[in-house]
Amino acid sequence: MSPETAAATSARPPAARIEEELEVTAFKLSEWMASQGIFIFTAALVLFAVVFIDGFASLPNLTDVFNRAAPIGIVAAGMTFVVISGNYLDLSVVAQVATAAVVLIAVTNAVGLLPAIAFALLIALAYGIVNGIAVGVFKANAVIVTLSTTFIGLGLLRWLTGGSIYFGDSDGPIRTFGTTRIGPLPLSMILFVVVTIVLSLVLTRTNFGFMVRAYGSNREATRLAGVNTPLVVIGAFTMSALGAMLGGFVLAAFSNTAVSAMSDGYDFRALAAIIVGGTSVFGGRGSVMRTLLGVIFVSVLTNIMVLTGLGFGFQQMAIGLLIVLAVTVDALARKTRAS
Amino acid sequence: MTRTELEPQPPANEETSPAAGGSPVERVRVILSRRTEGRAVALLMVVWVFTLLFEPLVWTSYEVTLGRIALVGLVALGLTAVILMGELDLAVASTLAVSGVIMASFDNLLLGVLAALATGLLVGAINAFFVVVVGINSFIATLGMLFFLRGAAFVLSGEQPVRIADVDAGIAFGQPVIGPLTPRMLIFIVAFVALYVFLSHIRVGREFYAVGGNRQAARDAGIPVTRRVFTGFMISGFISAMAGVINTLERTAADPTAGSTVLLASFAAAIIGGVLLNGGRGSVFGTLIGASALGMLQVALTLSGVQVDVQNIVIGGVLLLAVITDPASLRAAAVTARSLVQGRAVRQDTG
Amino acid sequence: MSETAQPTASAEAGSTASVPVVEGRNIIKRFGGTQAVDDVSIAVARGEVHGLVGENGAGKSTLMRVLAGVLAPTEGEVLIEGRHLEPGDTRAALDAGVSLVHQELSLVPEMTVAENILLGSTPTRAGVIDGRTQRRIAGEALEEIGVSVDLDEPISRLSVAMRQFVEIARAIARRPRVLILDEPTATLTPAETDHLLATLKRLARTDLAILYISHRIPEIFTLCDRVTVLRDGKLVICDEIGNYTPDSMVQYMVGRELQLDMANRRIDPELGEVVLSARGLQAPSVNDVDLEVRAGEIVGLGGLVGAGRTEIVRAMIGADPRSDGETTVTLDGRRRRIGSYRAAVNAGIAYIPEERRSDGLALTMSVSDNIALPNRSKLSRTFILQRRRIAEFARSLAETVNLRPPEIKREAGQFSGGNQQKVVIAKWLGRRPDVIVLDEPTRGVDVGAKAEIHRLIRELANDGAAVLVVSSDLPELLELSDTIHVVRDGRIVGVLPGVGTEETEVMALAAGQREVDAA
Repeated sequence: MSPETAAATSARPPAARIEEELEVTAFKLSEWMASQGIFIFTAALVLFAVVFIDGFASLPNLTDVFNRAAPIGIVAAGMTFVVISGNYLDLSVVAQVATAAVVLIAVTNAVGLLPAIAFALLIALAYGIVNGIAVGVFKANAVIVTLSTTFIGLGLLRWLTGGSIYFGDSDGPIRTFGTTRIGPLPLSMILFVVVTIVLSLVLTRTNFGFMVRAYGSNREATRLAGVNTPLVVIGAFTMSALGAMLGGFVLAAFSNTAVSAMSDGYDFRALAAIIVGGTSVFGGRGSVMRTLLGVIFVSVLTNIMVLTGLGFGFQQMAIGLLIVLAVTVDALARKTRAS
Repeated sequence: MTRTELEPQPPANEETSPAAGGSPVERVRVILSRRTEGRAVALLMVVWVFTLLFEPLVWTSYEVTLGRIALVGLVALGLTAVILMGELDLAVASTLAVSGVIMASFDNLLLGVLAALATGLLVGAINAFFVVVVGINSFIATLGMLFFLRGAAFVLSGEQPVRIADVDAGIAFGQPVIGPLTPRMLIFIVAFVALYVFLSHIRVGREFYAVGGNRQAARDAGIPVTRRVFTGFMISGFISAMAGVINTLERTAADPTAGSTVLLASFAAAIIGGVLLNGGRGSVFGTLIGASALGMLQVALTLSGVQVDVQNIVIGGVLLLAVITDPASLRAAAVTARSLVQGRAVRQDTG
Repeated sequence: MSETAQPTASAEAGSTASVPVVEGRNIIKRFGGTQAVDDVSIAVARGEVHGLVGENGAGKSTLMRVLAGVLAPTEGEVLIEGRHLEPGDTRAALDAGVSLVHQELSLVPEMTVAENILLGSTPTRAGVIDGRTQRRIAGEALEEIGVSVDLDEPISRLSVAMRQFVEIARAIARRPRVLILDEPTATLTPAETDHLLATLKRLARTDLAILYISHRIPEIFTLCDRVTVLRDGKLVICDEIGNYTPDSMVQYMVGRELQLDMANRRIDPELGEVVLSARGLQAPSVNDVDLEVRAGEIVGLGGLVGAGRTEIVRAMIGADPRSDGETTVTLDGRRRRIGSYRAAVNAGIAYIPEERRSDGLALTMSVSDNIALPNRSKLSRTFILQRRRIAEFARSLAETVNLRPPEIKREAGQFSGGNQQKVVIAKWLGRRPDVIVLDEPTRGVDVGAKAEIHRLIRELANDGAAVLVVSSDLPELLELSDTIHVVRDGRIVGVLPGVGTEETEVMALAAGQREVDAA
């Protein structure tokens, strides 16, 4: 330290220096939390639940947790692509999940399973393309775009179904899927893990996933590298749509029924899972595996609240708070890395 | 040394042509091209034609129409203040709901109203805190608050509508006071005038445009940007709370799920009214015209027997169109289209 | 001509007034590792017009912002009329009477002229905007600088030059004690420049202290009473204008030991046909530019910051839209017109942008990923990322550019500036481009990396690529280029051969000094 700097430093009041030290510590802490925190927190939460919450560790409860986590997890895994691309989130999953569930049950009853899946696939592509073009070509804000497509989608669904509940065939393949278990693990949970692994591979091992990550990290540099960036955005929203579609299938299979209101809360639960998992809402950082952890965290948290009698309202509050906190930590971590 | 007068030079680009001089028609055309309310006016014309042809009831039962415009317009006004600064307040719907629930929890009407309005101010302050102090993008920050407050409304209300204590006051609130104008409409008119004056004639309000138009320039000029952002969000929160109070009084009960269609319509109203999402451009007039168009549209659809769900499709469609036809979006699309067309290097005959 | 690093005696406040209006004492400003301003002291008296000159990167703008209170100095202090100025507090500076006219205009596009002039000090009566007073003050300010423009016109409709005048009117309207102008004539025509200089001279007579940054030597001589010359952040000399000549001033600005790396200089390189050709380029800040680069040639674009070199280059390759003009690439006898950026990349053009952090690299991704990004089609025929191939590819390229440390898995953002730049170059090398455009390739790069990057550029040219280099580093320009095009005001004002040209020749063309001689 040169004599001038030393003089300058000691000239500053001690209070200011302490404040600065605290600030630096806070930043470093947030950086750690953003990247490593989720592992510790999830483990701690599970431990807490096992020890302190009555009924958590029982087989029926765990099965229930898995059954509920699976559809949300599949949706979150798909939506991770949108978040990593730096486009905030896809609110329209709420509409997409319910639509896929209804299509699966209703069309299977009417025509058959394969046509149902084909039709649902078309719808997913439509969502992906509409959202993708609005955000990727018109560069409109993803939150507002997906807000509008949510209303359009839900409106269409409720209008066409009249809000009625659809019941699947009691001997049908859907029911079979929904009730099969391997030990405590429902088939849906296994599907969730498989989907997570596949999507994770897509994100990390394919050209497309590579471009999505690059776009999220730096849009301009990706454009200047010659990448067709509007296509990347359309692709990201299509992945989200496919995830929502599969999630809707699993949700329908769980109860062998489908109704337009059943996807309530999927938007913030999925977003919370993604952000809590450590994927940055600013884009470029994160992974589908982390979303898996985030899903576990959110599902366990929700389950704890249910078991302790805290209703939907409290769950929403808690998750809303979680989102804000997680983004705060993320923002502070970014500032730390920048300096 | 002689002082020479320097006249504006003819510009090199077409984009910057001065309006000084030129025929009256020229001047009017230039002034009009600068206005942002064009799309709202266009939509209003379409709605007028549609309603005159198919649902003239909208015009004859004007109290209903005016009432709807007032509610949508009120929330849209609050949004306008925030969007002008280049931010967004997604939490308006749940602020509305939560404030309504809080108001209904008080037996004393006046205390309830005050508590509700205070809640709105508090929510606004918290939003502003996360945006300027913590540094989170307002889209995400207010989205988180949206979820949080929705939950809070549920919790505080016990997941069902809460009746207000003084039901008579609520019923009286829905009655016309001056001519056909109900208290709801009067409040909207007052809010509109107040916000118009604030944004055009009060220095603090005018500085909102600077904060949104060029935030760095505003800082360089010594404008306290942080304070302005707080003010903007608190205005939006306050107005949303007021809308919640109005809603609760008129229905004599606070509904924790209130606000979702209002959210959609008021966003559409503000955005199609020409308030640019990047900030710095727009006017309350545009918002008024947009709210009128959307309010009339909603009433027309209701009176035609169209279900709420289809209404949502229409309004959602209007919002999507509004956000895509934003001038910046259209420019971006044009660039993409151009590069798509010229994507391949064009081969020419050898030189 | 002496080239002292010591400030001369007249660096102290002018002999007239007792207390200088604005004074900077031993100002030091560091940004991370770089020393932008190194122990500079400067003082301006009442009624004095003080010029501040230096090359790109000499530290003028930084010093200006410190004196204006916008930037806090690392060390040293600023005094306004003898009173200490609180660093970094814009409001305090404004209240103390310091008005800064920025280089990037600080105006709100959608607000009117009158509103912008009074921005931040809008007159009010009990909170309500006093429109009449606002217009009166704005009108007076405009009259003061002799400019006529509609007070209700929104800024977005004004020409860039007129915006500059509005910005100046805003600075005047506050009735400041000291007016600081940073390159105010960059966007003005000669007539407008004359007008501004006359106005400033008149204002100085009203006891206003003026601090004037400019590259344009003729202006400095017309306007200033005393001039401080900075070079590489240090004070070279501060003297009365009468003690300079235009040549001596340029010499002070530029006069380092010319350590040109002549050993590696390409003499008489083999040039092929014209590969890259641009005709009639027209865009914002680009005025009818024609440019040609041959195979194996290194063409350098020189000029001052803001001259429009980056704009020319980006308009040429389609990275930014252009309003007119055509770019063609001729390879193997086939000529192709380039319409868009992607067409340019597909035609074999590689672009290394000026801002590597914001445009050149995905900082949160690994070096390997960054290198792979423009090379995807070469690296994998299917949709699957061939990790091993990418790693090999990246490793070999990292070796070619001598990346240090050669850890291709590390995040790009964690490397030094020089190494980051090497990564940007490496990723394009993989495509074996026929045309390479580099914008400020060694800015913020350490000496060792700089030499390596120069070696790479020469190798590329020797292998037959057409190379276009934009550089503000005069020695670099002279060491590398076979031909130098000098840019000023968005047009090419001179073409010089690479060999045998002096730095002062380039600087003179860039700064407009040649015009003085012609007149």
